[in-house]
Amino acid sequence: MSRADIIFLLPHLMLTLGAVLVMMAIAVRRNHFAVYVLTCLTLIVALYFLPKTASLPHNVGVLFVVDGLGVFNTMIIMLAALAVALMSYAYFDTREERTGEYYMLFILATFGACIMVISGHFVSFFLGLEILSVSLYGMIAYLRKRERSDEAGIKYLILAAFSSAFLLFGMALIYAATGDMTFEGLSGYFSAFDELPILVMTGVGLVVVGAGFKLSVVPFHMWTPDVYEGAPAPVAAFISTISKGATMVLLVRFFLAIDGFRFPVVLTIFTVISIASMVVGNILALRQQNVKRILAYSSIAHFGYLLVAFIAADELGVEAVNFYLVAYFATMLGAFGVVTVLSHPERDAELLDDYRGLLWSRPALATVFVVTLLSLAGIPLTAGFVAKFYLLASGISTNQWLLVILLVVNSIVGLFYYIRIVAVMFDSAEEREARPAGYVGNFATLLILVVLLVWFGVSPQGLIDVIRNLVGVG
Amino acid sequence: MTLYAFYFLSFLAVMGALMVVFSRNPVTSVIFLVMTFFTIACHYMLLNAQFLAAVHVIVYAGAIMVLFLYVIMLLNLNEAVEKQKTLLLKVAAIVTGGLFMIVLSAALRTAETSYIDTSVVGSARNLGKVLLNEYLLPFEAVSLLLLAAMTGAIMLARSRKRIKPAPNVVGMTHEREQTKTVVHEQ
Amino acid sequence: MIPIENYLVLSATLFSIGLMIVVIKRNAIAVLLGLELMLNAANINLVAFNLAHPERLDGQMFAVFVIIVAACEAAVGLAIILQAYRVFHTAVPDSISTLKES
Repeated sequence: MSRADIIFLLPHLMLTLGAVLVMMAIAVRRNHFAVYVLTCLTLIVALYFLPKTASLPHNVGVLFVVDGLGVFNTMIIMLAALAVALMSYAYFDTREERTGEYYMLFILATFGACIMVISGHFVSFFLGLEILSVSLYGMIAYLRKRERSDEAGIKYLILAAFSSAFLLFGMALIYAATGDMTFEGLSGYFSAFDELPILVMTGVGLVVVGAGFKLSVVPFHMWTPDVYEGAPAPVAAFISTISKGATMVLLVRFFLAIDGFRFPVVLTIFTVISIASMVVGNILALRQQNVKRILAYSSIAHFGYLLVAFIAADELGVEAVNFYLVAYFATMLGAFGVVTVLSHPERDAELLDDYRGLLWSRPALATVFVVTLLSLAGIPLTAGFVAKFYLLASGISTNQWLLVILLVVNSIVGLFYYIRIVAVMFDSAEEREARPAGYVGNFATLLILVVLLVWFGVSPQGLIDVIRNLVGVG
Repeated sequence: MTLYAFYFLSFLAVMGALMVVFSRNPVTSVIFLVMTFFTIACHYMLLNAQFLAAVHVIVYAGAIMVLFLYVIMLLNLNEAVEKQKTLLLKVAAIVTGGLFMIVLSAALRTAETSYIDTSVVGSARNLGKVLLNEYLLPFEAVSLLLLAAMTGAIMLARSRKRIKPAPNVVGMTHEREQTKTVVHEQ
Repeated sequence: MIPIENYLVLSATLFSIGLMIVVIKRNAIAVLLGLELMLNAANINLVAFNLAHPERLDGQMFAVFVIIVAACEAAVGLAIILQAYRVFHTAVPDSISTLKES
């Protein structure tokens, strides 16, 4: 550990410091607002200490690679975490729940995700993933007054632990064949082969199964709708963005290192997963009456789309993945933000009926929701459109015609259920009880997210330049 | 000689694991799993990983399995309440059998049969050196994992003081939740 | 001397049995037992193949971390099962169905 190493890991160190400070603050006095402010400050300080672009990349030992990809994604993960933290305050403040521990687990989960995006070694990969999952178990089963929270917790626990076991066994097999655990060393080993030895192939397959559960792509998606429905709305936002995004970045790093798409088997596996996720996600979403479940299936479909750029795996593909992640993060956070604001102390606003006539009763909020839904559907002038366009470009440049066509067809199918929610909001309003008072943090977050969505949709060049500068370094 | 020891231990380990599958009483399952874990620890001794063998026995047999037994007895699950699913059993058998075959064939196809090199000694001293040099950061990160686990476990297991109506497990709707009286803890 | 493939076969067998436990058993605690067995199967591989690649102690080191992770998962997992048991009076996830397709 040199001084430079510590400087490059300062954002992560700040997060750990924050977690410990939150713990001490709870020990002194349970004050929801104080803990919440401390959490936000931690994230802001951590963002401030992100390493400067000029000095990248930097290897910290063999375990961590602080490069452009890592720093950019650490940044968007922390920003997303900040948005989730701002939503969480309002959500937990209106409920009679214990409040302190949530923020502690929250910071630790963010820390796990940040470890994942800079890991260049199986050990750091696995530990980051486990810190994220173990914190999430607690966060999902957090609500004491809702049985559904417990059920979601138990389901997530079993499937997440199951997927980690697969991941670990896959890693062990790869280690058995190669004797190396660093992505760098593996890259040297893999480049020697034109066809993978079956032992390594099995290992890679098991790693894909393990990561597939985290990404909730078909056929590893069974837990997603249940967990999204049962978990508190801000936690669902966290799972759908940060947890999935970090896993995706890690997969990108791993498969770029081993140049996995040279091997036809790997290519076939991912093509099948991508197609299945798009089709199944969209078709199952059509029948849903529950907004949280619709968002869950929508996120499954979106990761199907995202895999198109992932399979391309060239420079354009990696840029597309990063751009898509930013757009997807902003959109999903916006959507779950609206769900959070509308949620009752007793239950979350998840049925379509909760949104009936929203446009007349709360026009501002409804506008936000409409913008996020349009962005999810990929309508022009929103970030979702540019992101999808980027995916198509990278798919076409690598001649993935089947995937490109299916992407377009599925986007059209997707329109139906997004428009259905919008239509419900246009319905005539019925009498409903007064909503709980709003919170400034919530509305500020939603406003910023909507501005971002439209801004990236209208002039994406700024973001594209940032991504190209950071990630393109390679 | 070591080869016979290997076969004997492997036999015990697999038998123990199979008994976990087939015993219907959770307590017996745990006991058989403890047996499997002991034989795995013996395997580690054969592989010259003394430190790991010790840690394995202490953590698994000493802590985790006792925790399992404790929870099973706390929940009074020691009767065989469960029915086994027959259709799923078949599917499971196919899946596991298939997976096993793939790995097995992989093992047999590995070109050269290498023998283990027992010059590596996983003593506490050697492992400690590695742990505090190149694995220092993961070692620190593990402390955060433990912190997260501790917080989560304490928070979840702390009893909630609530008065609830008789549980109706299947088909509980959220309307029912609202009728519950909840005594807040803080 | 023990051929290294033997360990591969042993760990694959234990992993498959662990998988079988997870799929067959309905009781969440038994499922957790199966998961522990699966993690251990991977550990055997790591330790055994450390001896085939003797330059560094990577495999054994990873195995130590895996043991810690397994302990954490068991602790939180049992806590969640305990909490769910208090609410639903059962430790069988299949018979809990407050979440369903609408």
